[in-house]
Amino acid sequence: MSRQANRGTESKKMSSELFTLTYGALVTQLCKDYENDEDVNKQLDKMGYNIGVRLIEDFLARSNVGRCHDFLETADVIAKVAFKMYLGITPSITNWSPAGDEFSLILENNPLVDFVELPDNHSSLIYSNLLCGVLRGALEMIRKPRCTADT
Amino acid sequence: MAVCVAVIAKENYPLYIRSIPTENELKFHYMVHTSLDVVDEKISAMGKALVDQRELYLGLLYPTEDYKVYGYVTNSKVKFVMVVDSSNTALRDNEIRSMFRKLHNSYTDVMCNPFYNPGDRIQSRAFDGMVTSMMIQARRGKESLVARAPGAWSPEEAAKGGAEDL
Repeated sequence: MSRQANRGTESKKMSSELFTLTYGALVTQLCKDYENDEDVNKQLDKMGYNIGVRLIEDFLARSNVGRCHDFLETADVIAKVAFKMYLGITPSITNWSPAGDEFSLILENNPLVDFVELPDNHSSLIYSNLLCGVLRGALEMIRKPRCTADT
Repeated sequence: MAVCVAVIAKENYPLYIRSIPTENELKFHYMVHTSLDVVDEKISAMGKALVDQRELYLGLLYPTEDYKVYGYVTNSKVKFVMVVDSSNTALRDNEIRSMFRKLHNSYTDVMCNPFYNPGDRIQSRAFDGMVTSMMIQARRGKESLVARAPGAWSPEEAAKGGAEDL
């Protein structure tokens, strides 16, 4: 129970390079196992989904944001609070669709892709697909039924 | 401004070798190959006693009439060899050191790429770009620097080592 009390204030620091290298090792191992970029993308999405459904609880416990009234607010909270809290970056929100139900998040310094250069034989690999899965999982848990994540 | 840059693996085969396009590029390959002996000599001379104080930068390996060859070895026994033009206004030692440091930093970035297997040829665009910035721009715009596939060497040849027939 003491862990729950500390949760709001404490954020454990760890080396970002270890994090980047771990994610890189994960993706390359998946590539070796599946040998097909589409399958790897699907697996990353699934893994991200599993992370997202759990992460949303942690996020709501730590951040104390209230209910968002519209999709615009949701987009803001995702970019400015959630990404900041977990990855330390603030992506920019652009490319709103005319109906107001789609937008793009542009990540300038994605810590997952430090040092990474995609070789030519993996041109259709979506390297950060895990993040898409996380967003999908998290939003589904707070009941935004028609939510798709695209890169 | 370097004329030729090479990255040699621990087992003495080249991971990356690149020189400015001239008529006889093979002579640079030859120079780098022979400089490996000097590198080994320097490493063994520094010896086991002073491992902490052992410097990574080896300095001038040997001068020829047109060129000077500098060396640098990392703690993982990866060697960087740089050939510079002698006629170029004598580059100060600390300039060469900073060039090697940049090379070393770019090399560690390449190593951190999860798609790179240690021991493979270095094909990173970022690394290429960094080396380009270090080389002489011989003829502006017209010629692009040629990256050579280090196919001329083989581990067996390198293992034979020792004196070349001159």
